[in-house]
Amino acid sequence: MYFRKILSLFISKLLIKFLRLIGRGGTALPGKLALKIYPNILSDLSLGVKSIVVTGTNGKTTTSRIISTILEQASFSYFDNRSGANLISGITTVFIENYKKKPEYALLEVDEAAFKTVAKHIDVHYLLVTNLFRDQLDRFGEISHTLENIVKGISFCPKAVICVNADCSLLSTIGRKVDNKLIYYGINQPFSNTDNSLSDAPYCLFCKTKYEYTYKTFGHLGGFSCPNCGYKRILPDIGVNTIQTMTDKYSKVSLLINNDSLNVSINLPGEYNIYNGISAFSIGYALGIDYEILSNSLATFKGGFGRMENISLNGVDTHIILVKNPAGLNNVINYLSTLSKPFVLTLILNDNFADGTDVSWIWDVLFENLKVNESMISHLYIAGIRKYDMALRIKYALLQEEKITVCETTKQLIKIISNPNLISDTSYILPTYTAMFDLRTVLKKQFKLKEFWK
Amino acid sequence: MKLTIAHLYPELLNLYGDGGNLIAMKNRLNWRNIECDIVNIPLGKPFISSKYDIVFIGGGQDFEQEVILNDLKGDKTQNIIDAINNDVTFLAICGGYQLLGNYYKTKDGQIYNFIGALDLYTIGQSKRMIGDFMYSCPEINNQLVVGFENHSGRTYLGKSVKPLGYIKKGYGNNGEDKTEGARYKNVFCTYSHGSLLPKNPILCDYILQTAVSRKYDITLEELDDSLENKAHNFIANRLK
Repeated sequence: MYFRKILSLFISKLLIKFLRLIGRGGTALPGKLALKIYPNILSDLSLGVKSIVVTGTNGKTTTSRIISTILEQASFSYFDNRSGANLISGITTVFIENYKKKPEYALLEVDEAAFKTVAKHIDVHYLLVTNLFRDQLDRFGEISHTLENIVKGISFCPKAVICVNADCSLLSTIGRKVDNKLIYYGINQPFSNTDNSLSDAPYCLFCKTKYEYTYKTFGHLGGFSCPNCGYKRILPDIGVNTIQTMTDKYSKVSLLINNDSLNVSINLPGEYNIYNGISAFSIGYALGIDYEILSNSLATFKGGFGRMENISLNGVDTHIILVKNPAGLNNVINYLSTLSKPFVLTLILNDNFADGTDVSWIWDVLFENLKVNESMISHLYIAGIRKYDMALRIKYALLQEEKITVCETTKQLIKIISNPNLISDTSYILPTYTAMFDLRTVLKKQFKLKEFWK
Repeated sequence: MKLTIAHLYPELLNLYGDGGNLIAMKNRLNWRNIECDIVNIPLGKPFISSKYDIVFIGGGQDFEQEVILNDLKGDKTQNIIDAINNDVTFLAICGGYQLLGNYYKTKDGQIYNFIGALDLYTIGQSKRMIGDFMYSCPEINNQLVVGFENHSGRTYLGKSVKPLGYIKKGYGNNGEDKTEGARYKNVFCTYSHGSLLPKNPILCDYILQTAVSRKYDITLEELDDSLENKAHNFIANRLK
């Protein structure tokens, strides 16, 4: 066995070096190979490392990046899987890379379907579950199955402290199913944009009665209660009492933490990012980190890998926002509809496995809401493998056709959107997962962007 | 001119972008200067069949099936059957399609009685039939219809219903007999999500024409479907 472990480490480390050398991220493959050679490799290497796991449908990466800022500012010794390779293979890779340094903590973004497998191997001390939305159902089946999988994963880490979104009626059921210590976070007031998107969970998971809501933030999140069995939102330990300021760069909120109140600034635009800010805060709170460090981290955090990334392409102020499901894209559309300066919008739709092979989800997105702020959209570019499906969706949302251009290739698209003579306004690019990788590969070469695995 | 579409259980049967079918029907009517109202019929709201020209039922998750069956226990079942017998146009996708049949037998052998408007039944299995698929439709000159299927139920047709089409790629009704969907009077049933109608404008117009003809003596004029056809052909070419 010892021989297999050494062999497994040797080969996978070699592979990591080789893949980096040829300019590939090398984030999943080495771990995959290592697990093949020695299936216990992850359990072995993670022994004695306290894992902080972030899972859920939306906001995993942004939240992990904020937690990472918190851990840095609090001087914790840790490593993370910051490239976003969040299946067991990618997680094994980062343990292989870091086992010699012996950091105390591992900060891991874990795919919500992979969590139950990963949790078996590693020592989860803190778990954050962000939210549950419909996402790539062709892969997971039904949303309640995803919830069951998360609960199953929790059964492997009975001592973990769990931070849960109190506003999510699906996740809040965890409180009735496990004996772990729970910390709830939530937003105690509605968002300013009225959200008329479909609810992914209109009926009580316990008795199948329709929920009543005192307010909603977005999707099925909000002040829910079941009029029949009494299941309802729990007043969160960490709650946003008021949203004081919203700008296109940050938001300011006042938090009620048990009985303490605290004003914090979250250095990301868009109301949905308030959830990402306070969920990271709740993990910091669970770790016993001072409020001062926590609020400072939230105020200074800078976006990472495709999640509200801000770059300059030949001087064109460009924001890349990953979109992967209706709930996330609806949030971005709501954000775009608050902008008061003209902007260029680019949508890139792929249908590779990691994007979800079923593109029908774009018909669940309320592109019609773009009409509210249509005068601010100076042009709309569409690209990606399923560009015609996206173009069709936009046609049926009745946006002005003369503002729409379908680009045949990513190269053609980049040529346009990185040309300051053509693009004078702020540019927002909304790619799906593999579309973002394609985009990064080209941008990396042309504009010397940071390697994504760093 | 105006058509009214009833959307049955919009809060429950709304998977995989099925709502795109409503967007397509409404726009394609509007573009021909025909008004279109969409009326939601959620749980608990009565369904008065004489008010509607088209009834749309989408697909849903298994979790919510029981809630719907309870709601159908009242007059709704009979009203749906009456509407179908009065030649109202129906479009039913996946779970909605199964619901119009006689029953659903789960993989554990439990039987749920459904509306029984169409002579067909569905049997659950553990293996899901998932992926892009394509079928030809005899009623529209064997034109190809593309979509995305995602179902675990296998549906078998009785003698009084015809299949909507014949599978060229994918599983269809049951993965065995090459049939896909069901046709009966003005009822169109299919397993195709995708959304179905935006990418299959010929089928969309054919379905709309059944509803228009029931009320007005007009033929729908042609539209510029170049973008629709590009989206259609992209996936059709991949499947060929």
